[in-house]
Amino acid sequence: MQMWMRLLVIGVLLSGCAVRGPDMPTEPMTAGVELDGSPALSLLHKAEAARQQGETSAAERYLERALNIAPDSSWLYKSLADLRLFEGDARSAEGFALKALRLAPDYPQYRAELWEMVATARERQGDKAGADDARARAADALAPGQPV
Amino acid sequence: MGSRAAVAKSTRRLFELAEHIGRRALIKYPHFSLYSVPMAKKTNNTRKTPARSRGQTPRKKAPARKKKAAKSRRWFSWAFVAKVSLVLLVIGAAGLAYLDAMVRQRFDAHAWQLPARVYARPVELYEGRVLSRDDMLKLLDLMRYRKDSRASTPGSFSAQGNSLLIHTRGFRDSDGGEQPKRIRLSLSGGQIRSLQAGGEGLARLEPLQIGSIHPQHAEDRVLVPLEEVPPLLVEMLVATEDQSFYDHHGISLRGLARAMLANLKAGRLVQGGSTLTQQLVKNFWLSSDRTLSRKLLEMPMALLLELHYSKQQILEAYLNEVYLGQDGARAIHGMGLGAQFLFGRPLQELEPHQLATLVALLKGPSWYDPRRRPERAMERRNTVLRVAVEQGALSQADYDKYSARPLEVVPRGASALYAFPAFIDLVRRQLARDYPPEVLSDEGLNIHSTLDVLAQLAAEGALKEHLDNRDPQQDKKLNGAVVVVAPAQGDVLALVSNRNSREAGFNRALDAQRPMGSLAKPAVILAAVQQPKQWSLATLVEDGPIQVAMPNGDLWDPQNFDKQSRGAMPMVDVLAQSRNQATARLGLDVGLDKVAGTMETLGVTRNVPRYPSILLGSLALTPFEVAMMYQPLATGGFSTRLRSITDVLDKDGEPLARYPVSADEVIGAGPAFLTQWAMQQVVETGTARSARAYLPEDLKVAGKTGTSDDFRDAWFAGFSANHLAVVWVGRDDNGNAGITGSSGALPVWARLMGKLPQRSLSQNPPAGVEWVWMNPNGTQVSAEGCGEARRYPMLEASIPRDADGCGTVKQTGKGIKGWFKGLFD
Repeated sequence: MQMWMRLLVIGVLLSGCAVRGPDMPTEPMTAGVELDGSPALSLLHKAEAARQQGETSAAERYLERALNIAPDSSWLYKSLADLRLFEGDARSAEGFALKALRLAPDYPQYRAELWEMVATARERQGDKAGADDARARAADALAPGQPV
Repeated sequence: MGSRAAVAKSTRRLFELAEHIGRRALIKYPHFSLYSVPMAKKTNNTRKTPARSRGQTPRKKAPARKKKAAKSRRWFSWAFVAKVSLVLLVIGAAGLAYLDAMVRQRFDAHAWQLPARVYARPVELYEGRVLSRDDMLKLLDLMRYRKDSRASTPGSFSAQGNSLLIHTRGFRDSDGGEQPKRIRLSLSGGQIRSLQAGGEGLARLEPLQIGSIHPQHAEDRVLVPLEEVPPLLVEMLVATEDQSFYDHHGISLRGLARAMLANLKAGRLVQGGSTLTQQLVKNFWLSSDRTLSRKLLEMPMALLLELHYSKQQILEAYLNEVYLGQDGARAIHGMGLGAQFLFGRPLQELEPHQLATLVALLKGPSWYDPRRRPERAMERRNTVLRVAVEQGALSQADYDKYSARPLEVVPRGASALYAFPAFIDLVRRQLARDYPPEVLSDEGLNIHSTLDVLAQLAAEGALKEHLDNRDPQQDKKLNGAVVVVAPAQGDVLALVSNRNSREAGFNRALDAQRPMGSLAKPAVILAAVQQPKQWSLATLVEDGPIQVAMPNGDLWDPQNFDKQSRGAMPMVDVLAQSRNQATARLGLDVGLDKVAGTMETLGVTRNVPRYPSILLGSLALTPFEVAMMYQPLATGGFSTRLRSITDVLDKDGEPLARYPVSADEVIGAGPAFLTQWAMQQVVETGTARSARAYLPEDLKVAGKTGTSDDFRDAWFAGFSANHLAVVWVGRDDNGNAGITGSSGALPVWARLMGKLPQRSLSQNPPAGVEWVWMNPNGTQVSAEGCGEARRYPMLEASIPRDADGCGTVKQTGKGIKGWFKGLFD
């Protein structure tokens, strides 16, 4: 997981010096930020468990059900994108990651992660330029004082 | 499948058997040769074997044979008798072997053809879900939940005020599905206020079956394994139809004698004397005509069946095979489907008097049809109950209780099964792309569809109500179609293709291809705002006469609906007021190629000709295709395949395939937001203002009216955040319907949307879009409260650097960045 390593390094480096607006949360984004108290959260957990057991169909179904309950959850779209990458459907993964970005709250680290996901998905589709652009955006997201 | 192979196999077995017997005979009687029997003789002899008594042998040949026999009296001897008997034995054994193969083949290989069954989406229950108590009760009624104060068994519920206790039925799904369980929920203010479901904050009602797919023939059944058949049903069945079932070997001489006696007494045929095994043979392999040859075949086959299979297997086959009546072209086979057909419930949930009604039908499904012949059916049902008491299967008290109950058959057509033919048609078309017909008709697939029963009923109701108002006598021949989609996942929630929605036939939603009229205009706006340096929603566009010379020499000079030209107006008003001349000018400025390309990007798969008339909707689409085109507009630019199926499971509920949700960003967030906002103004201030009468004041929805030339087609396509609905109203003969989008289609849309739980479209602009107060000239930034200044969502690249100097122009960081960016772009 080279991508995550790279993100981690960037994250660690920037966390020391990042000067962000007062409204920018510093703690990491979690599913609970959007889904705390929602029944969609238990479906998300079930989806994660199903995926770990290799039951991707079940995982998908759980996520789709969760989205019916919490349609504006960026995290759920991210999970779907992640699942699609895992299943080898890079095109769908890109779509869902972009959708997750549209709905994403202002968590720089989280946004950067999503852009990295877009980059990976584009790379797997052979879209080198698109991947580079997404990586640049991931870096932008983490750059201090930048609109994200 | 396999019937030819089976015949070939049994023929092979026949010859093998004949050969085998022949070889054994040769060992015993070495001077005989089986093959010395002349062929002619061999065929003549077949006439004598009952198994082959089909009368094909020409009678004329008999005298010749006699002559020959007389001639060869010389060697009439025991040897000859033995020879003939041997041949007869061989033929008899072969016939038996053939029957045996027939019996086993059908029983073993593919005992039942199970059509694919289609289910609506399961109803998800959780705290906070918008669901009125009335709708909840409507759902339970459709699913035939029984009222039971303790909700003691699956499929029952009790209601006390706002509190409901429901015992769900359980089902299989790709995620494993649900076990039956008791849940308690309280509903008030149109919402689920609380839910207790065994520690989980979430429960699902089983999906309602809405149809089955029979591409080849019309045999239908719901397979029920014997262990799930109510024991009382079996007891009543044996008591009424075949009391010695557990003792005989397929044929009951006692039963036959009793039947003959009864027939003699009555002087006519009153009893068949057939055992259950014989009845099964009849149902399985033989036609229903009462011929002697059939009777003769029935008996050996019944014996063979008993030889190979247990009583339990035979019983199970009988219960699932028996013919119970006809529903149009659909033959009702088996107790499982019988229960659904007559009572709308699973067999396991039937009460004794209902089980007895099913047994009563066996004597004559149409003679004792409880819907058409209630008195007869009732009498026969009570006979069944009485026999059950005599045989000790039912207590006298139960008899008294249940024989007093009415038949309780659900009216035909009240069932959700086959209630939604237009939607099932869509499912069938989508399935046909992926599954061969025999798989759909035979393998018992379970198809989980996207149909939302409440949305479907609301759509049907809205269309019918409106057309009944406008065309009560149906003399204007108005009809219509509605498509409802959950835009984010592309789920088709409802599909209506007829004002009388139960009628199958022409599927207007999928097949009525009509000019879309002004529904094309959002594509023009979108194409324009995608060039933000030239156009914003505030840009003034001239609404004035325009003429274009066509290559064929014609002159294209579009008129406005009110035959007026209003002069320069902001682009957003061009859309909101649906101005034809201004749209034509704008579209030509933007470029036909760009507009046509935008339509294709949105999901129009038909060839879009590069004619100016496409700007005003000369392109003909079906309502379903319009839904496809509007779907990315509803989701802020993400295109999703519309799906009517989510999951396919095999007959045991194991997942086979999924039709997953998809997303493809086809329009940038900014232009998508602007177009959506402009479409909201259609409802806020434009041609769809009247929709507000049915919708909450603060609900943000967007849409567009459409009317084709000569008032032939009335359209409305619009959406909230969670529902996209397209309505078409017109005539099948394409005649003048005298209606406009606003008067003919919008009311249907508004009523329908008003009945469904809605979420507002987001008013938060995405990155790169800002709210800006603009001077009415469309070229200068202004400020709140300055004269006629209006607020617009603007793409950064189109925010003018020039201000009109009124008020204080507030610029945010983003705006300044955009300003700088604009310098370098």
